[in-house]
Amino acid sequence: MNWLTVALIVLGLFFLVVGSIGMLRLPDVFTRSHALSLTDSLGGLFVLGGLAVHHGFSASFFKILLVLGLVYLLNPVVAHATIRAAYRAGLRPGKGEQDDL
Amino acid sequence: MSTFFFYVMVIITAVMLVYLYRVVRGPTVFDRVLGLNGISTKAIILIVLIGTLFERVDMFVDISTGYAILNLVGALAITKFLEQRGETSGEERS
Amino acid sequence: MRVATALLLFALWLALSATLSPGHLVLGALLSGLIAWVNPVMKPQRRLSLLAALAYQPWLLGRILKSGLHVSRLILTPSLPIAPRLVRQRTGLSSDGELVALGNSITLTPGTVSIDVCPGEVLVHVIDEASADDLVSGRLERRIRGVFNTPEGPR
Repeated sequence: MNWLTVALIVLGLFFLVVGSIGMLRLPDVFTRSHALSLTDSLGGLFVLGGLAVHHGFSASFFKILLVLGLVYLLNPVVAHATIRAAYRAGLRPGKGEQDDL
Repeated sequence: MSTFFFYVMVIITAVMLVYLYRVVRGPTVFDRVLGLNGISTKAIILIVLIGTLFERVDMFVDISTGYAILNLVGALAITKFLEQRGETSGEERS
Repeated sequence: MRVATALLLFALWLALSATLSPGHLVLGALLSGLIAWVNPVMKPQRRLSLLAALAYQPWLLGRILKSGLHVSRLILTPSLPIAPRLVRQRTGLSSDGELVALGNSITLTPGTVSIDVCPGEVLVHVIDEASADDLVSGRLERRIRGVFNTPEGPR
């Protein structure tokens, strides 16, 4: 059980770090949102899953699963709202960083 | 085990600093909102980790649940506001 | 339907309170019953297929893992071989629940973000051609059709 926890958390950390590298390297807000969904769905899944396994079958297990479900339900909503606002404000993908419209 | 969790927390904090760079630097205001959303997700994970370290996970999970819902409401309000402000000033000079 | 809502609320109460003392149980049962009784019933048009809904989650997790590995390979490649573009995809899904499931699944998967969702059409930003595969081939839509028991409509 111990090794499973460590393996899951290290895997989650890998995705968190890759997502932050993507946040730095990718050119515009649309592609950056892909890096964000990478860290949200995979990094969160593996780190919180590893913590849930660490606590074993108890009340904490279900509470951490509740947080995980909440993250899965709410984060796409925020990402979608941000991207839609960017699109409606006139940003268009594929042109790199635009400083002036 | 607790040393391992401590180092995991340090790495997650370093990841949050990268997002903070995006919030401070980001060329458009939407980059900033996106970075804030990323920071809040990491904060949720960090709060659960702190709870595991302190052996009080029951309490800290409630805090992170509240944080997640608060973040949703805040981010939706900001994006709605930016959307209604419209095409004239969606862009911000860096 | 009210009974299902009440049971769901009671399960949430149990997960949040994390105790099994009788006072908590009685209070939770009273509150969840009251809330389910007071609120209006949100009735879906067709019966959901519970089996397909249960099979959908592991399938979606598998897709998320696969496209997550793909996107992390793209990010870590030094030349950054991305080809972002917009995809306008027609769907036969129209009810609120189906659209929420579709948009949520699209945004949850790394590599695709839904920009605008309206009945009959979604506007999606994809990071490269391989990420758009599930959406364009209609595999995701067929799965959601299975969950909501939607008959095959006009595409």
